[in-house]
Amino acid sequence: MWLGVLWEDSKLKLNLKLASVAVAAALIGSAANAQDVIGYITKSATNAGWMMINQGAEDAAAEEGVTLVAVGPSFQGDLSSQLEVFENLVAQGAAAIAVAPVDSAGIAPAVNDAMAAGIPVVAVDTGVSGAEVTSFVATDNYAVAKVQGAVAATLIDDGQTIIYVTGNQAQSTGQERRNGFIEAFSAARPNSEILEVPTEWNSQEAQEGVEAILNSRQDIAMVANAWDGGTMGAVAALRNLGYGAGDVQLVGFDGASDAIIAMREGWVHADTAQMLYQMGYQGIRAAAAAARGETVSPRIDTGFFLVTPSTSAVYSEMVGIE
Amino acid sequence: MERGVENQKKRSLRDSAIIAMVKFFRADWSGAFLAILILGIAIELATTGRPFFHPSNLMTILNNSAAIGVIAAGMTLVIITAGIDLSVGSVMGMAAALTGYVVSFWGFPPSVAIFTGLSLGLAVGFFNGSLVAYFGMPAFIVTLAGLSIWRGTGHLATGAQATPELPATFDYFGRYNPFASLREAYTNGELTGVWNSIGSFVDANWINFFRTFQMSMLIFVGFFILLTIIIANTRYGRWVYAIGSNEPGARQAGINTARYMLITYMFCSFTAALGALLFLGRAPYAKSDYGQMWELDAIAAVVIGGTSLFGGRGSLWGTFMGVILLKLINNGLTLAQLDTFWQMVVTGLIILIAVGIDIVRQSKNPESVRKLLAAISTVMAFLAAMTPGAIYLRAKIAILEHNAAEALKATGAQLAPGQNARLLSPSDLEAFEAALNANIGAAALLSLLVLASGYAVFKGNTMLTWVLSACFVLMMLPLVTMGYQITVPFLVLGAAVALGSNFVSTLFDRARALNANAT
Repeated sequence: MWLGVLWEDSKLKLNLKLASVAVAAALIGSAANAQDVIGYITKSATNAGWMMINQGAEDAAAEEGVTLVAVGPSFQGDLSSQLEVFENLVAQGAAAIAVAPVDSAGIAPAVNDAMAAGIPVVAVDTGVSGAEVTSFVATDNYAVAKVQGAVAATLIDDGQTIIYVTGNQAQSTGQERRNGFIEAFSAARPNSEILEVPTEWNSQEAQEGVEAILNSRQDIAMVANAWDGGTMGAVAALRNLGYGAGDVQLVGFDGASDAIIAMREGWVHADTAQMLYQMGYQGIRAAAAAARGETVSPRIDTGFFLVTPSTSAVYSEMVGIE
Repeated sequence: MERGVENQKKRSLRDSAIIAMVKFFRADWSGAFLAILILGIAIELATTGRPFFHPSNLMTILNNSAAIGVIAAGMTLVIITAGIDLSVGSVMGMAAALTGYVVSFWGFPPSVAIFTGLSLGLAVGFFNGSLVAYFGMPAFIVTLAGLSIWRGTGHLATGAQATPELPATFDYFGRYNPFASLREAYTNGELTGVWNSIGSFVDANWINFFRTFQMSMLIFVGFFILLTIIIANTRYGRWVYAIGSNEPGARQAGINTARYMLITYMFCSFTAALGALLFLGRAPYAKSDYGQMWELDAIAAVVIGGTSLFGGRGSLWGTFMGVILLKLINNGLTLAQLDTFWQMVVTGLIILIAVGIDIVRQSKNPESVRKLLAAISTVMAFLAAMTPGAIYLRAKIAILEHNAAEALKATGAQLAPGQNARLLSPSDLEAFEAALNANIGAAALLSLLVLASGYAVFKGNTMLTWVLSACFVLMMLPLVTMGYQITVPFLVLGAAVALGSNFVSTLFDRARALNANAT
């Protein structure tokens, strides 16, 4: 772990420098054309889902005429660098900050400081626990996961065994999705056994875990996933063991493009899509509005879309999957 | 006269057992192997249904070990030269992403793409190795920089986007099953004569055996056999060890140490690229964030396998066992459906056990072996104690939390939703109090056993260990009547290990005498 610390530390300095340079440059610019600077602290720049959220954020900033300073952690889950970047943005005088916390409780002190200094804070995707925010823009993970669980239950008979691939259980997103799914699924299929494959949002862990269980038991009827990286890992596991599309039911979460393509090929049977682009877009719109002093709703639900083979064409067109 | 002969015969049987044991513990991989065995038996007891040591389950573990396994092999050689390569995870990610990228978006034929990926590995290795061997830069720094450079390059070159599904050629590095076409021909009824009976045999045992007989595993095992032969039989193999144990000495003896270090780093990065291909053979697509933290897994596998981080000592088979142990932990704990957070704790403990056995093994000191055995029996007592103990503690804590929350409420403090959960309903409160009373006796008795076994770690005493073993056996009865059958294996192992600790020094003396006779 010493290595991880070292690595995060070196990367952190880079991030901080970038953030301060960018904010300073943007502030000089703001004197000339009076543009508000919105700080945007994202969770990841390489995850397919996050790239869609970040795209929404950029488009909203362009429409609102604000300058977006986007900073991401080097690692998904790196709280210390998020805290430092956050404090840096506050110190440099950003007009509002949108943040996707990697740790709901860990980010709270920094949020409190910013709100006390009169800087509006908008939480995107993941909520903050232990601090008030100006607005929370996200899918209600728990509610959507309940829909996912209920839909999954209709795909199999009561008493059949399923696998559930979890997300990181130390994060609220991972907990809410798991709890929502299991509650709704177990209510509809009380005699079905649920075997869990724990992951930290890593598709390799999903693939290996699903493969291990599928190989040791012949009675698995479905694999449900907390996110679509897991869905694609499960597809790979099925292919590795020589299963064909449709032999085992697959249920995803996120509506990522590769999972939708796998649905067209017959692998995936249902996917509760978050409106990822909307999350970034609405988040920055709310932050810009708050920066201008307008009141914004404290909770903006960006909704979801239930993608099934019959609705996948509509969804594909909506989010631009060819 | 006759009795004397018989005695000699008997002794020779016991002696050959001792000799076999000494031989086993001389091997670098014995620590990891024992840990694998212990863990396997524990998982076997914890899971129902198909046995854990089932060939198809073991083959699944081998299949999923292949990619990290070949990388750990390259890392072993680097570490034996007293170096380190922190960049392998990033090189693996870059090679995987670019191989997939050129085949998907540039229209390269798969063979050319594979060649590109492997050459990329060699080129990175040349860069790393030159800086270390010819410019005298510390390997730690060069490859730490590489960790960042190659990951970034991979992201930049591919835009961090996943490729579409790769061509079927890549299956030959992973999920391709040599028996699949035979089985298909059989099920289509295209076979005759002896082929037909082979086909029917394969089809009948498909799920049980042949389904998981895949290229990943074959390449993985073949690679280790080949590399072991090369290292054991070439000058290069001997010099790698020589450089690691005494680099200036090796140079003075006329070995071109710089060149061989360069070769070793090139080989290590090459294995990272090969690992990328093995990974692509089982993965859904190619992406530049593959292989994150793999450098730590590879180093862990090497160290668990008994290779010294200071160089000069170690073996490839140790690394092989180390990789299997790491993957076995994930696979077994998932099959056992252990809670996520417990999996993290248990993973760390198993690694400690493997490395602990290795350190004691190297100390060649009977007293430390005795201490290790006594410590193991203490751990067994602790595990047995925790069975009623955990229920007792949980009940105790729940009641404490309930009382604290009540007290907070009485002062008028506002409770957040998460904190409200600490309040118990009256029926729960009653259940917890019943659990307290039911488990306190057993928990207290077993805690005494833990303390006594712990005392035996520091102070060896033949009488005490006999009493302890008897206590281990006696405790089984009340625990089984309470319904805690799960503690039986812990108690049996604890009793056996405590007893065994009495004979350690006798064994050592005999082994030394035999050794002296032999030489």
